[in-house]
Amino acid sequence: MSEEHNPEPGNRILEVRLGATKAEGGTRERVYTVGGAGTFPFLGAGPAAGHPPRIALEICDDTRTWSPIVLREVGDLAEDTGAWAAAAETTFGADMVRLSFTSTRQRGFDDFASLGTTVEEVIGATKYPLIVEGSTEPAIDSEVYRRIGEAAEGERVLLGTAEADRYRSVAASALAYGHAVVAQTPIDINLAKQLNILLHETALPPERIVIDPYTGTLGYGFEYSYSVMERIRSVALQGDADLARPMISSAIDSLNVKEVREADPETADEVAIRWEFYAAFSALIAGAEIVCVRHPGTVALLREALRALLEGSHPQEEAYGDESA
Amino acid sequence: MTSIDTVLASGRERLDEEMDALEGSVGYEETAYALPVTYAVTGMAVHDAASAREAYAASGSSVLVAGECLAAAGYAAEGGEGEPYTGFVPDTVLRRLGYSLVDGSIAGIGLVAGSPDDADAAAAICREMQEKYLLTFLAGGVIKTLTEAGVKVGLEYRLVPLGSTGMAAIHFADIIARVAMMFGGVQPGDTDRLLNYAAERAKAFVIAFPGLEDEEVAVIDGFRVLSIPILTPEGYEGGEWIRVPYLEAVREGMERRGIRVNVVAIPIPMACSPAFEGKSIRKEEMYVEFGGAKAAAFELLRVRPADEVEDGRVEVIGPEVGDLEEGSAVPLAILVDVAGASMKKDYEPVLERRIHTFLNYGEGSWHVAQRDLVWVRLTKDVVRRGVAIADLGRLLASKFRVEFPDLLDAVQVTLVTDRERVEAMLEEARAIYDERDERIAGMKDEDVGTYYSCTLCQTFAPNHVCIITPERPALCGAITWLDAKIAYEIAPAGANQPVEKGELIDPVLGQFEGVNRFVKKASHSAVDRVSLYGMMEEPMTCCGCFECIATILPEVNGIMIVNRDYLGDTPLGMTFSTLAGTIGGGAQTPGFVGISKGYILSDRFLQAENGIERVVWMPSLLRNELKGRLEEKLERMGIPELFDKIADETVAVSVEDLAEFLARVDHPALAMRPLI
Repeated sequence: MSEEHNPEPGNRILEVRLGATKAEGGTRERVYTVGGAGTFPFLGAGPAAGHPPRIALEICDDTRTWSPIVLREVGDLAEDTGAWAAAAETTFGADMVRLSFTSTRQRGFDDFASLGTTVEEVIGATKYPLIVEGSTEPAIDSEVYRRIGEAAEGERVLLGTAEADRYRSVAASALAYGHAVVAQTPIDINLAKQLNILLHETALPPERIVIDPYTGTLGYGFEYSYSVMERIRSVALQGDADLARPMISSAIDSLNVKEVREADPETADEVAIRWEFYAAFSALIAGAEIVCVRHPGTVALLREALRALLEGSHPQEEAYGDESA
Repeated sequence: MTSIDTVLASGRERLDEEMDALEGSVGYEETAYALPVTYAVTGMAVHDAASAREAYAASGSSVLVAGECLAAAGYAAEGGEGEPYTGFVPDTVLRRLGYSLVDGSIAGIGLVAGSPDDADAAAAICREMQEKYLLTFLAGGVIKTLTEAGVKVGLEYRLVPLGSTGMAAIHFADIIARVAMMFGGVQPGDTDRLLNYAAERAKAFVIAFPGLEDEEVAVIDGFRVLSIPILTPEGYEGGEWIRVPYLEAVREGMERRGIRVNVVAIPIPMACSPAFEGKSIRKEEMYVEFGGAKAAAFELLRVRPADEVEDGRVEVIGPEVGDLEEGSAVPLAILVDVAGASMKKDYEPVLERRIHTFLNYGEGSWHVAQRDLVWVRLTKDVVRRGVAIADLGRLLASKFRVEFPDLLDAVQVTLVTDRERVEAMLEEARAIYDERDERIAGMKDEDVGTYYSCTLCQTFAPNHVCIITPERPALCGAITWLDAKIAYEIAPAGANQPVEKGELIDPVLGQFEGVNRFVKKASHSAVDRVSLYGMMEEPMTCCGCFECIATILPEVNGIMIVNRDYLGDTPLGMTFSTLAGTIGGGAQTPGFVGISKGYILSDRFLQAENGIERVVWMPSLLRNELKGRLEEKLERMGIPELFDKIADETVAVSVEDLAEFLARVDHPALAMRPLI
């Protein structure tokens, strides 16, 4: 479609701010702005290029379902969520940590107090903005998101995940405690738009929403995700204000696919990293502003690729430096 | 009996006097919103008597502002009342309450004020509010009355004792004001937005008991400006206060503010989920069946006045499952009565179709067909586990409430298994079905100002927009204008949006200014104009779901229609699937258009190209399916002979054979103006 290459001037992706400095009521030493682009990604420098993308490393509070390849790589860190989070920033070089509360997935989970403690621990251990993923079980949403939101009050974290039939608790938590929200829909542009409208109706300001169009794993449907990301970005630039939001992508099943699980132990790390890398890298090309991976090695490779892509479009310091320390 | 009109004046006077006499500092602790109501209304952060009077004047002598200033002066001077009263609720607690309201775990809030004479009645009201997921605030003697009657109060019981006097009611208003500022983005001083927020979002009502002082009455009466209805079961008359019987108070309050409670679990001994929708129940697994040509059966959903529908009521008339032999076939009438302020008679058939979906959600219940053709089965397995016929009713009653929370306030289900009664009611049901068919059939495009869009298919045809009118259903045949209208009411942000048709541009082509404007936007500027009633000039785009394709056959100056079910060749030289691949994907292809079967029978059917009279060919499958209705239509048009002039594949598959046939029968298309 030819019109996709000629977005109407003036249509921009909204800027979403993540993290809050001490002056803003938080404790982050760096804060990020994502979004702001007026054109497709990596088309050169200038104000239309928007803010640089960010790389998040995913960690969790209950490692039972986490990839053994990653657990081998991070070793003892997996037993100490705070230390794992700190290492993500310092040792592994991620722009931000995405903390998944996998503990809430167990049947009959009710240790809600632990959520607040873990959030506080991770906040204490890190300096950059955070993404926090709550429950996937509607019955405990209310309690889970209240605890997380409350414990992170003032830090302007990115809270996940709102879905079309269960977005109220996430939105309420964001409203009550000043956070932003990941709005996920299953690879469908209309549903993405609808969810943004529904979130808007809760009075959540649009500049506090990041779209997650859902990312299928490479070889297992990634092309659908790529295409929907491209389309969301394309109609946003053509003036569809309900979709003019930054996007986040995480091909969360990358390390669970047969090819990675059954890889020769000798090369397993390499296979895992490549599997994550190509999905995340392609997502960046499709327009994602935040990409999330789980293997620390993928962060380094993405960083290198991103550097090469951005050269000329962003001065290096701006691309990787902090904005407001 | 206190006359509101009388005490309002004296109450206001007292407030004025007390404001004049106000001294010292005025303020609450643990809040960033000063005196919240005053702050929200005036934008002024009051801290002493002088600034309080200033704000009172700025608010135009609002009784709420006066009440708040006086209450806050008391706080500044003496602190709160202490246990068990909460007094002013600090921001941190309020944030949690607001969270629960936005998140839906609290359905709404209520204030019970005054000193009820009857402790049991007051307790019953509070219990009902707890059961309905309301958060209840208490002000005045009612707290003592309740605790003496053994009712536990406290935030954890969702009964919040604000204070011992009616004046503590003001905290109810400061809570709403703070929620509006914290969660609703209302800026201090923006009174309009505050009032809007309160009207649209604050699901609140007041129940007032006797014993309130005049100034307390004045303050509570002031809540009405926040769109809060004041209900009173005893003690007051006149003014804008609404008299209600005790037992009706909570229901009335909820209804007036549109508070609805979501029922989540369905209390039946079998699982119920969309996961079971696609199953079938074979004869060997079946315990009992209803209808299915072996016994009379039908289903009927009707809207009834609210007082005739008792929510959740399920009744079985005739034998229950325990009275039936294994393997038997039994008559059944499924009668679903619904009530709801925005429920309309027109919605009945659409909701009735959901009976099918819902019954199939049951782990061991199965349903096919519709109206008086239904066929229902229950498995041996679930009957052994205790599932009875009444459980089908419970399933339906719950599912309807959960799926249509904004539409339905009450649902009751009656299941009749008594043969004589079912047969007797069948005639009545059939009359209703006929009446419905006529109502939809009779609707014309010019009768309505609004059409509906459908962009469901943009998932795979990104720029396709269906415009649905009463006389042109969606091209997939699955969504009529009424369906789209209801879909919009149920999901206002969904894929069916209202389209104001606007100024008429061309009555023959069916072009409307408003429709064009909508299509341009919704197609992301890919399509500028569409003709609703034609196929040659700017026809509607096609996604891929069309029931039929209509195309021109230039050689014979006619239109052929081919339906999806027809797999053979057509006179155009292409099968349905080849054609579909050519025209789908959201493109406008003059000469080709995707349509529903229903549209063929419409008076608007391709009227720009002379409509049905131009049709020269359709597969016998489609021709037979439409036969009765099409013949009737042609009869009405005074051209009954046309039906036999429309060829099918038994007469001609090549365009040469078709031309010969058309010439032989003297088809009117041959003499019409050329299509190209």
